[in-house]
Amino acid sequence: MPEAEARVRQSLAERVAPYAYIAPFFLLFAVFGLVPLLFTFYVALFDWNPIGEHVFIGFDNFTRLFGDTRFWDAAWNTISIWLLSTVPQLLIALVLAHLLNHARLRLAVFFRMSMLVPYITSVAATTVVFAQMFDRDYGLLNWLLGLFGVGPIDFLQSGWGSHTMIAVMVTWRWFGYTTLLYLASLQAVPRTIYEAASVDGAGAWKQFRHISVPSLRPVIVFTIVTSTIGGLQIFTEPLLVSNTSPLTCGPARHCQTLTLFLYEQGFGQFQFGYGSAIGVALFVLIIAVATLNYVLSTRIRPERG
Amino acid sequence: MKLRTTAPIVLAAALVLTTAACGGGGGSGQPAGDGKSFEFWSFTGINQKRTVEDYKKINPNVQVKLTEVGTSTETAQSLTTALAGGKVPDLVLIQGDNLPQFVQQPQNFQDLRQYGADKIKGDYLDWVMSQATAKTGEIIGIPTDVGGLAVAYRTDLFKKAGLPTDRDEVSKLWPTWDAFIETGKKYTAATGKAFVDNAGTSVFYQAVNQGPQKYHDPSGNVVYSTSPQVKSAFDYALKAIQAGITAKQSSFEENWIAGMSKGDYAVVSAPSWMLNQIRDYAPGLKGKWDIATIPGGAGNWGGSYLAIPKGAANPKAAWDYISTMQSPQNQLAHFLDVGSLPTTPSVYKDPKLLAEKDEFFSDAPIGKIYTDSVLGLKPFLIGPESAAIGQEFLNAITNVEQGKGDPAKAWDTALANIKTAIGK
Repeated sequence: MPEAEARVRQSLAERVAPYAYIAPFFLLFAVFGLVPLLFTFYVALFDWNPIGEHVFIGFDNFTRLFGDTRFWDAAWNTISIWLLSTVPQLLIALVLAHLLNHARLRLAVFFRMSMLVPYITSVAATTVVFAQMFDRDYGLLNWLLGLFGVGPIDFLQSGWGSHTMIAVMVTWRWFGYTTLLYLASLQAVPRTIYEAASVDGAGAWKQFRHISVPSLRPVIVFTIVTSTIGGLQIFTEPLLVSNTSPLTCGPARHCQTLTLFLYEQGFGQFQFGYGSAIGVALFVLIIAVATLNYVLSTRIRPERG
Repeated sequence: MKLRTTAPIVLAAALVLTTAACGGGGGSGQPAGDGKSFEFWSFTGINQKRTVEDYKKINPNVQVKLTEVGTSTETAQSLTTALAGGKVPDLVLIQGDNLPQFVQQPQNFQDLRQYGADKIKGDYLDWVMSQATAKTGEIIGIPTDVGGLAVAYRTDLFKKAGLPTDRDEVSKLWPTWDAFIETGKKYTAATGKAFVDNAGTSVFYQAVNQGPQKYHDPSGNVVYSTSPQVKSAFDYALKAIQAGITAKQSSFEENWIAGMSKGDYAVVSAPSWMLNQIRDYAPGLKGKWDIATIPGGAGNWGGSYLAIPKGAANPKAAWDYISTMQSPQNQLAHFLDVGSLPTTPSVYKDPKLLAEKDEFFSDAPIGKIYTDSVLGLKPFLIGPESAAIGQEFLNAITNVEQGKGDPAKAWDTALANIKTAIGK
């Protein structure tokens, strides 16, 4: 075999190798991410019975969707639960991270680590426990309120009540995780900056406002975007809080989120086409909200002067 | 060097091949059955395990792989997914409310006539059999049980309220739903407690299952908005709520179970399959329950069917199980054993059935009470939309019961929601 030919083959292999290294991810992504996504767009154009006929109906599913009050209710529920859970969660995490970074705590590692416990607890278990606490008849919260002569409040059957209940579960699950992200980022900030600030007479609030928050900017943007994506897809909590009508989160759809509505239509009623149309609408909504958030949150800038 | 560059390429190629293999494996061909074993999907709470054990005694060399998939609805969902995906069990139990969506697509199932189902179909109640028969004539299911209606009531609580406790006298208290609600008012006035668990399942779902026409007319058109029986059942439910006699505990919720043990309500409408649930949820109440007839006298809610998917590997073994265990004699034996009501009228006059008493329910003659309710029944058509329609009516009623919905608007709300849900 001539030397030159071998070298050509060798260098071809070397040129292909990098692509082959990254190929596993892209192959898996194509099979489990991209193809299902594109297929969803395709199915959304059909009246699709999984065990029967698939009839092409163009954009009829979308026309129906925009006239469907259940869709708009679910969209509102989703946004309401997302706001109620994300805003407090990020604020709590911000403050906690600041405190954990500064205060001279004994057992600092213990406090930092224990915040991850809600995150590693199964969602189903969390939901069941919280739903029990918010229960109308035998719940802990209503028992407490009863001591003050208030209630009982039927959280599950009211719009604000059920949204609050689910938002509390979501906040509980995620605040520790977000706190740790912020904390990790804060620890990279040189202590000398804080020391210089306190020499200049800046109090705790000013240090928080003008040092901690601006230096966390990239990670705040990151958490806002991820919690938008996660928050708009809340599913397990609303599914599990109501035993009688799980797919609608209660008889009046008070807390049915878009993902739950998708599941109800797709896998409860087996209208795969309509369910896919909901999925497409959700996809568009998430992209829109995430972009908006990104634009807004990049306005947090380090103070100058 | 050589290894380092070729390894990822080989790996990537292998990945492509395996993923391609995964894609192709699903639907290809029928796996060959061995004829000696079959896979059986059932749902929880119906105790098919017992029947399977009995079958193994008769046929010790047959292997039955029984899976309790989940609730009846979850089982139907899994079946749909399995049919769409191509990997199916050999035998599956389908609850009556879920059956129409499958009967409408008979190409997914084995036509049981090829095994001789049309020869034995006369053994079963006509109207039950017709629900498992497709428009084009295929028989896709054999019924395992029906859900005759009755009312379970607490004798101890009735006694405290000054009501009669004897089951015949109690039955006479409520020949109609109006009389049932009046009795409830008396109970609530005397005890300060709720009479019945809820209005949705214990009143509406019973009353709506008692007439010649439910949500569909005999030719299959949806008539839920004009069917007089549906409207009157809905009104009875609202009336019960407004009388303040319901405990607002939706069936099968945890609080419903807790409330049962605590005596928060004294009455539960009990289709025959409900008896097992009451027994399981509150075993401490043995001897404190009894069973009276349902207001209106007759009706059916529920009941299940056994079907064999088209792609089953062992259809013959599955059919042997159906034909053996669902014979009139074995349905009778299953009834005497676990209490699910036979679909075979030939055993309804059997002395063993008539003599069957349930110790848990104060020795109530359940065989007689439930078969009477089924024999007096006027059959009605169940359509593919029935489950969705029923759920929306139930939601509207529950919403009023929980104090959130306006009773004056509830009916119109329900109709509007159904129209959105099913598009007609």
